[in-house]
Amino acid sequence: MVQTHHCEDHETVGENKEKRPKFFINDHVDILIEILKRLDGRSLCVAASVCRLWCTIARNDSLWENLCFRHVSPPPSSVRSVVLALGGYKRLYTGCVRPVRSRLGRMRKASWAGDEVQLSLSLFCVDYYERLGGSNSNGRLVGESSPSSLMFLCKPVNV
Amino acid sequence: MLRYDSTSSSAGSSSGSLSSSSSSSKPPQQDIDGLLAGAGYKVRSSELRQVAQRLERLETAMGNSPADFSQLASDAILYNPSDLACWVDSLLTEFAEPPPTCSSDFIVDPVNNQTVVNSAWTAAEPHTPQVHQNITYDEQQSLDNQLTVVTAMEEDSGIRLVHMLMTCAECVQSGDLSLATSLIDDMQGLLTHVNTVCGIGKVAGHFIDALSRRIFQGMGGGSVNGGSAFENEILYHHFYEACPYLKFAHFTANQAILEAFDGHDCVHVVDFNLMHGLQWPALIQALALRPGGPPLLRLTGIGPPSPDGRDSLREIGLRLAELARSVNVRFAFRGVAASRLEDVKPWMLQVNPKEAVAVNSIMQLHRLLGCEQTRDSPIDTVLSWIRGLNPKIMTVVEQEANHNQPGFLDRFTEALYYYSTMFDSLEACRIQPEKALAEIYIQREIGNVVSCEGSARVERHEPLAKWRRRLSGAGFRALRLGSNAFKQASMLLTLFSAEGYSVEENEGCLSLGWHSSPLIAASAWQAVPAWDNHMSSS
Repeated sequence: MVQTHHCEDHETVGENKEKRPKFFINDHVDILIEILKRLDGRSLCVAASVCRLWCTIARNDSLWENLCFRHVSPPPSSVRSVVLALGGYKRLYTGCVRPVRSRLGRMRKASWAGDEVQLSLSLFCVDYYERLGGSNSNGRLVGESSPSSLMFLCKPVNV
Repeated sequence: MLRYDSTSSSAGSSSGSLSSSSSSSKPPQQDIDGLLAGAGYKVRSSELRQVAQRLERLETAMGNSPADFSQLASDAILYNPSDLACWVDSLLTEFAEPPPTCSSDFIVDPVNNQTVVNSAWTAAEPHTPQVHQNITYDEQQSLDNQLTVVTAMEEDSGIRLVHMLMTCAECVQSGDLSLATSLIDDMQGLLTHVNTVCGIGKVAGHFIDALSRRIFQGMGGGSVNGGSAFENEILYHHFYEACPYLKFAHFTANQAILEAFDGHDCVHVVDFNLMHGLQWPALIQALALRPGGPPLLRLTGIGPPSPDGRDSLREIGLRLAELARSVNVRFAFRGVAASRLEDVKPWMLQVNPKEAVAVNSIMQLHRLLGCEQTRDSPIDTVLSWIRGLNPKIMTVVEQEANHNQPGFLDRFTEALYYYSTMFDSLEACRIQPEKALAEIYIQREIGNVVSCEGSARVERHEPLAKWRRRLSGAGFRALRLGSNAFKQASMLLTLFSAEGYSVEENEGCLSLGWHSSPLIAASAWQAVPAWDNHMSSS
């Protein structure tokens, strides 16, 4: 749209002057958060690479909490303290919920959505426990420092 | 991956009398398969696979054209049925079957009696059967032979290995150790022709080792059980990672315990084999999130004493306590070090009468079974003091196998089938070193089942039906594992993308298997409040 200057048209100039400062989404963080809240996991990770502000916002755990419970009825408030203690929602999503959902998606039954999150939480807890062992024990109880309890989720097997 | 399955099915179809052959002491003749000869059929060992395939084809053809079949029964004249290869061929020509083309992927059109080949080798469309007619029988046969000659030789060797293993086990049972020794040498030679990285070769190798250990080292089997507690823990951990059996056991037991603890504020779990305590984080998390808030959780873990001053039980307890603290669950841990479960006395567990008790036994009860059925065998003692604790629930997970029969050959046969299935399922695992160490874990079990006797043999697996009888007789009644447990188990299995695992529900108990062979079974029990309860308490 081409804007032409009409010096004699004061209203238009006034309008143009008001329109000249463009709309920067970064000035409206609340709108930005609302938009990012609705993204899927991969897009959210991509969004984190846009700029520092977006990176900071994308790291906000509440966005990932939204992702985890998106298709599920909102969980009781006690869940949040547990998840934060075990490593946070982003870790829960990327480590457990996303692989569980994508693997079970093939055979998804409608009643499983809440159970997927429950199972993800349990696996997440086992993972946290193994991470505890890696840092605390000097004997090689767990092997490498990266726990292998979730390896079966990471490496899909093709038979 | 399923090669062993196919060899066993073809072996099964060609010699149904595998376990009851009478000519066990005769060494196999030049070319004729020895075991089939015992059953009255003369088949060349080199032709075993083709004969088996043709039998399968015959079965399909009979099923497809029942009209021809009845005509066959009344009109056909068949010569010399003991020459199985010719007999099958003559029957197939009666059905006007074209000669075999590919070993797999073909569709027989019963109306036109033409073979429409779907295989990639011939690179032909299924819609143009005329192209196939141009490939002469001889050409196709040689193509067929070239491509299948390697697998045929391997599969023949695989079948032969199985035959020889059975024969060797029979010799060991009857005491003919000289023949057994020579068979071991033959089998070890045969192993060089077989792929020992996967399939029947790998399992056979372990069984050959176990048999030779039994023959040459006697039945103390010290070297098999000699692994230190530390080694066992590591192997167990990798077995946990590599395949879903232990995960299934833990998650199913946890679900049952969680449901049993509903409404109780003081709960106490007794774990008969703590290991790394991998079962308990999930229960702690579930209790933390249960509606109404978490109870006070006490965990008593039983495990072998650790040498050289380390207190591994206490270390695990500390880790679990830290986890519980993070999620705000009041937690107390107690470790009981005992090298055998029968050494544990109930007072060591310090059970408070006001708390709800859960007893958790993952593959431990079978160790208490002795060979003789004496009155005060360890299993009876332990079951009676468990009953005395009056637990809200006792979760029992055991291998679904019959490895405690008195006869060696029966035990050997069962073990061969069971562990082959388990190794098959392990093929799906791709993560190393988990897979290799898991295999060592299973290998130790095999060694114990096959080469040990008396008190050294602790892997005395019994099937679920026997455990049901035993536990009911000891004053327990079965609790049904609910649909939540089943759902959770199904979900867990789907995450292991290898689509061979199956969960089955069997009168309230869940079993996990590979291709519908159950390998591990989980059940839940409760003590029956009886009028003579005071007599059975310790």
